[in-house]
Amino acid sequence: MYKLFLCLRYLYKRRIVFFAVGAVCLCVMMVLIVISVMGGFLNMVKDRSRGMLGDLIVESTTLQGFPFYEEFIARLKAEMPDEIHEATPVIITFGTLRFPRNGMTKPVQVVGIDLEETYRVNDFKEGLFYEKYYPGTTHFERQQEPYLGLTKDGQIALPPELEAARRRWEANASPQEIADAWRDQRLLLEVEADDLPKELNRGRIPAGLKRAFENRLFQLPDKVEVAVAKKGKKWLLRHAYGVNTIQRDGDKLKVYYSAYTGPGYFAEPESPLSREGPGWQGRPLPGVILGTDLCAERLRTGGYARYCRRGEMVALAVIPFNPKGGFQEGTGFLTMPLRYVDDCRTGVYDIDSMSVYVSFEQLQDIVNMTAFVPDDRDLDELASEPEGAAATRPSGPAVPARTTQVQIKLKPTVDTRDKVMAARNRVQAIWERVSSEGLAALRDAPNVLDRIEGPVSWVKVQTWEEKQARYIGAVEKEKYLVTILFAVISVVAVFLVGVIFYMIVQQKTRDIGIIKSVGATSLGVAGIFLSYGAAVGVVGGAFGTALGTVFVWYINEIQDLLVWISPSAQVWNPEVYAFDRIPSEVNPSDAIGIYIAAILASVAGALIAAWKASKVWPVEALRYE
Amino acid sequence: MSDVILQATGLHKSYQLGKVSLKVLKGVSLTLQRGEFVAIMGASGSGKSTLLHLLGALDIPDAGTVRFEGRDIFAGGSRARDRLRNATFGFVFQFYHLLPELTVLENTLLPCMVGNSVWSWFSRRHALRRQATEMLERMGLKERLRHRPNELSGGERQRVAIARALANRPRVLLADEPTGNLDAATGREILSVLKSLNEEGQTIVMVTHDPLVAASAHRIVSLVDGRIAARQEAPKAP
Repeated sequence: MYKLFLCLRYLYKRRIVFFAVGAVCLCVMMVLIVISVMGGFLNMVKDRSRGMLGDLIVESTTLQGFPFYEEFIARLKAEMPDEIHEATPVIITFGTLRFPRNGMTKPVQVVGIDLEETYRVNDFKEGLFYEKYYPGTTHFERQQEPYLGLTKDGQIALPPELEAARRRWEANASPQEIADAWRDQRLLLEVEADDLPKELNRGRIPAGLKRAFENRLFQLPDKVEVAVAKKGKKWLLRHAYGVNTIQRDGDKLKVYYSAYTGPGYFAEPESPLSREGPGWQGRPLPGVILGTDLCAERLRTGGYARYCRRGEMVALAVIPFNPKGGFQEGTGFLTMPLRYVDDCRTGVYDIDSMSVYVSFEQLQDIVNMTAFVPDDRDLDELASEPEGAAATRPSGPAVPARTTQVQIKLKPTVDTRDKVMAARNRVQAIWERVSSEGLAALRDAPNVLDRIEGPVSWVKVQTWEEKQARYIGAVEKEKYLVTILFAVISVVAVFLVGVIFYMIVQQKTRDIGIIKSVGATSLGVAGIFLSYGAAVGVVGGAFGTALGTVFVWYINEIQDLLVWISPSAQVWNPEVYAFDRIPSEVNPSDAIGIYIAAILASVAGALIAAWKASKVWPVEALRYE
Repeated sequence: MSDVILQATGLHKSYQLGKVSLKVLKGVSLTLQRGEFVAIMGASGSGKSTLLHLLGALDIPDAGTVRFEGRDIFAGGSRARDRLRNATFGFVFQFYHLLPELTVLENTLLPCMVGNSVWSWFSRRHALRRQATEMLERMGLKERLRHRPNELSGGERQRVAIARALANRPRVLLADEPTGNLDAATGREILSVLKSLNEEGQTIVMVTHDPLVAASAHRIVSLVDGRIAARQEAPKAP
């Protein structure tokens, strides 16, 4: 009984112990923050990897791809209906992307996808920008560029199809989301306020403001419709082109303008005074989705400033390879003009700054991965052929169409690692069956077999984890390394507890003698100090866990505060890291583990002191005052 | 009232002071009757405190035995001695030796807390607390239960120490210079407390160098140079 009683009494009577409690608290907090941030980062990396790839990936890492994918997918869906949710072929190749407006050309990874199937296989849709705000308008079909214009009631607007789509989004979005989307206000000019509000009330624009406008982009009409002070302290001034906001700031008035303040960046009519309505322009071209970092600049806030208008033309060039990996005779780079319809952000910078997504069929066609009948006649034979339409086509079995990847989404019921691995093995078996049957069917066409036997043998079936193992493994190792590092630093707290307890035992030798003189055993006296150590761990660990949890929850706000104090204090730079926000979740099992470790460490710190206390000889301790 | 409660035979004890071995007790034998009040007298360094510590199982002799009711108190190992100190003997020291962090009542309850596990403490705490409170009231400390030792006078502290020594109703009370740190008047108060306890049947061994103090005892044992010099009956109190 006395152990519990005395250790509790000593806990709040000996002030010096607060230092030990503080040290334990800080160490627990530190380790918890590190584990939470690193663990959160790891989880985000895993989530994104899976989101990008689907659950299983069947791929050939070569550029010429592999055949029989159509039969393979059909067979997968037929044989594993309970496991496979969707499977879609993907072509990955390399090329260059040119922005004709400024002549910028970038190297890119070209990804050919079926949009609808991809939406079902992975989280691609969640990363799309225009598809979010203008649902249903992103597609790879031939399309023109939309431009803004004035509606009959003087509102700046997009073509009706896009406006309708946006209203569909607004119907489901929260007011905060809508407010966030409409934020693209640009400061146009500042003018002296004078008695502007009064004049605005009368619906006139003061001469000073008008002159200021005239010197800038616009020529304002004399009469404007004015809505005054309807939005807090904002003055709204509607004129021919767009909505202007006038805000009073001291004796200055700040005039903001925005051509179109909704989400996205669109073509505008040449003249701001144009009374033309919105519409579509340019020749219809197939659509292309760009990686967000290809067409937009990442802001420190984590948002993006797009510098490519929706529907703007870009030119994509790719190299077609034949199935044997050589260049197609007589072709080099093939260029196709496309319209930028959307951009996709997976959250991984390497992907978002490199990837261009086009229609699977179109890419398959342009890189010669569609089925074709090989032509093995030599040049002499070809020379003897008649020219033009009369030329005979080569005949015989065709080389089947190819793809470079098949991405598979499993059903939610395939939830454990074992089930995923079992599914992977079945997919592997199906692929082997399909490919050997396919090859067997072409037994009589050696010229075809010769072209596809290699590609068939290079196909691998992997889970998303296996494919990303190197990257995820690196992040995992980093997490362990940093955790161990901080745990080692925390050993300092153990020593601090040890030193403080040693001092207390030193000071309390006489009291220990007294306790022993009334019959306490050596073990009991050691127990006082061990439970005292545990109590330090319990109290310090509790405070540390609480503070650490709160710190992690508000870690982004804390960083914002630091940035507000000094911009160079931005530790987490969203331009560098794949994610905008610092991971801010605490895993309860981590927290409990750290808490228990803190208690054990504190007890360990008290060990030497407890041993010393148990060795106190009461006669010696009590001899003198 | 003549049965032997405590019997020491041939006690030897020496201390190591640097390289010199200092022989403090050189064969002391002493017999204590139940209900007796014995004073051990001697000059400082004569070994009287060491003898008291040996009698109370606080220290271990180099040679010789101490029997409590016929059983050797050093036979059972340290656990057995811890139990004896807790329940059978009660110590009172010259410098009171109270725990400064605890209140008067808590100090008094300390032997009870040591003697009980958490569970038995919780089941018996009311009875124990009442018993300790009664003891302190008897010592005239009714108003001081919640005070800390540093708020008390020397005499009050010593009375708390006596209450603590009696908390587990020990068979023998061992007092080491209980009045040594007090002025004469306060010393007399403490002595009268001890005397009245003795009159109720408490066996007491008291170490002192002061003949006036020793005069309160039934019997005085003088220690000279580690041996018992003479025995004499205390003069009957007037």
